[in-house]
Amino acid sequence: MHPLLLIFLIFGIPALIGLVYVYSRGSSGLRTYMTTRIALTIPMILILATVVFFVMRILPGDPIDSTLGPKGTAEIKERFAEQHGLNDPIFVQYGRFVGNVFTLDFGNSLIQSQRPIVDELGERLPATLEMIIPATLLALGLGIFLGTRAGIRRKSASDYGSRIFSVMIYAMPIFWLGLLFQLIFGVWLGWTPIAGRIDPQIPLERTTNLLIVDSIITLNWAALRSVLAHLILPTLTLGLVLSGVFLRLTRINVIETNQEEYVAAARARGISQGTITRRYALQNAMIPVITLIGLQVAILLAGAVLTETVFAWPGMGRYLIQRILSRDFTAVQSVIVFFALFVAVISLAVDILYSLLDPRVRY
Amino acid sequence: MPDPVLTELPEEEEWQVDLGQVGLFRRVLNGRKWYGVDWWMVVISSAMVVFFIVIAFFPGLLATYDPLEQVGPRFLPPGETPDAEVLVLRPDSPFESLEDLAGLGRVPTAVVQGAPSSEDVRSEADRISDELDEAGSDDQVGLRIVRVETIEDMIAAVQTGEVELGVGSSAELEPLLADNPEVIIAGPITGEKGGKSFPLGTNQIGQDVLSRLAWGARVALTIGFTASLFSLFIGVPLGLLAGYTGGKFDRGLTLIMDSLYAFPGLILAIAIAAVLGPSIVNVIVAIAVLYIPTYYRIVRGQTLSTKQGLHVEAARSIGATKTSIMRSYIFPLVIPSVAIIFSVNIADAILTGAALSFLGLGLPPTTPDWGIDLARGQEFIQRAWWLITFPGIAVMLVVLAFTMLGEGLMEIFNPKLRKQ
Repeated sequence: MHPLLLIFLIFGIPALIGLVYVYSRGSSGLRTYMTTRIALTIPMILILATVVFFVMRILPGDPIDSTLGPKGTAEIKERFAEQHGLNDPIFVQYGRFVGNVFTLDFGNSLIQSQRPIVDELGERLPATLEMIIPATLLALGLGIFLGTRAGIRRKSASDYGSRIFSVMIYAMPIFWLGLLFQLIFGVWLGWTPIAGRIDPQIPLERTTNLLIVDSIITLNWAALRSVLAHLILPTLTLGLVLSGVFLRLTRINVIETNQEEYVAAARARGISQGTITRRYALQNAMIPVITLIGLQVAILLAGAVLTETVFAWPGMGRYLIQRILSRDFTAVQSVIVFFALFVAVISLAVDILYSLLDPRVRY
Repeated sequence: MPDPVLTELPEEEEWQVDLGQVGLFRRVLNGRKWYGVDWWMVVISSAMVVFFIVIAFFPGLLATYDPLEQVGPRFLPPGETPDAEVLVLRPDSPFESLEDLAGLGRVPTAVVQGAPSSEDVRSEADRISDELDEAGSDDQVGLRIVRVETIEDMIAAVQTGEVELGVGSSAELEPLLADNPEVIIAGPITGEKGGKSFPLGTNQIGQDVLSRLAWGARVALTIGFTASLFSLFIGVPLGLLAGYTGGKFDRGLTLIMDSLYAFPGLILAIAIAAVLGPSIVNVIVAIAVLYIPTYYRIVRGQTLSTKQGLHVEAARSIGATKTSIMRSYIFPLVIPSVAIIFSVNIADAILTGAALSFLGLGLPPTTPDWGIDLARGQEFIQRAWWLITFPGIAVMLVVLAFTMLGEGLMEIFNPKLRKQ
């Protein structure tokens, strides 16, 4: 079975079931909103695909030159252009490109045995997912926890501490944070491995390419331990960097909801501060934070590219950089489009979640 | 007769008159009482920004060496003096340097077998002899090299008077000196006291880390400022136009800008930089494209709210044209937010630029750039911690300075902006 299909089964099917469930149970306003929102995703993907296409084709750099390098003769260039349909009018090329995006048929890689790009993505996407999912959870947990504390005890030491943390983490290049962790925990303390996903000497049968899942299925505990040890530093790096943004937003929203009249009313009724925070302030403060998750996907993916490069993590980002350096422009184009699809799907999911939580946005 | 009430008014004290005249500076200084933490943030970060701009214009202030030249030994840790060939003498020795040997014939000199010292001291002696020759003197610095087995043997030979002087590396000699009070180190063979110093160490090819950092500031700030200016000049007019005209143009443009905004900027920059090829101009273009939506969104939002204002209504009713309304009635109100975004934007652009060069895209590999230095330093992470530490701190401080400046100004001038 194709790994991409497996990934879809693991993540996509539950999401689809949830979507259908919400749609069938929802009010008519919610249904209209969901339909509009899903319909709007298509132009968004189109625009992103168009931007990618024009960036890759219209800018002064020539895909033929950049693929073949300086050694390409006129004849080789001509054959290459013919093979990849680069001699067709630009609009024909554009149409074909957009069609391929929707069928997920990205063609074959230009180097290394010319494998279909979908197969190569099937190996890389699980690696990226395995890193960004725990990183997002860490960022959310840490950001919301610290942000709430800072927001409730405004102008206290923990508030200033959290703000300094979020400013520092914002100013820190994510790849530098990764390097520092490698230096401290990998080189000086020797606690964790500094590169790769798993110790290459541990055999592991790969079915989903999500190594945690694979090692649990095969009951291979040595592999699981190695995978988790390799996962610590990349997750920590990406998660910490993302947590700064969540911290800031949670803090501001908690401060704002704390000034609302219903919070004052709750306090007047003698409800404890803990209950007020949980039931009144935090729940309402969370709504903008959830919207932010959608916007954070961009930062998350950019961060993933850098983190993967630092930790030699064989995911999508490292694949992208490797293929740029080896001038494989079909692969580069496909990865970028794939990132665009990813962004579109996540922001769709977040918007629908948002509309469920906050009835005011449905229109 | 003068009005009694007026004469009773106290005259203005001198300091009050001064205050009125001093104006801007004093008013800014007094702002600290009103704005507190934010005022300090702006002052400190402005100082940092000014510092970095000065360094960018005059890297020579910090950089003692050429950032591209090999100027010292490889992998010298920060603060350590580079290894030098030094003279070992008896405390009562009549000489202090090689020059003192001129005209004394061939002086017995102890050198450890196989060490580079023998060649170095001989070529230095030849150089001094040539200089003397040019000055018209017949004196020569002559050495009779005596080879010994170990550095301890060399010290012993000097002590016993078997030879007049010894030559060896300072790194090996210094720890031995405490046990051998009968000999002293008379300084490097070249005669310069102190020699070269590398406060932040040297890298894998013997370049001075501090000098590279100072020149890297120029690259980083050039990218930051130019890219942000570029996106400002495109994003602001588009935002004004879309916000003011509205309709289909606005909707279409906003959809495009929102899609661009949602897309991972770095990945787009990677694609653009990869297609354009390595050069600083291409990096600037790649980064500038990313940040157009940032200006567009803010300016469009503010235009939408200001265009309802009475002054715009009034301007329209006296027949002001669309362009003049946008230019003279809306744009001035947008300036403060644009200035704030600009500052934060420079920080972002510097971060993205460093990321691009860390990935090996964008800048030519010889550029003294922080991102490139970090990428190179990663290869030597096991043995040279300073190679990845200092460039990272430099990026962080610059980004911190511009971000804090923007944030502080935002709090002071436009606290509402933060929510957008």
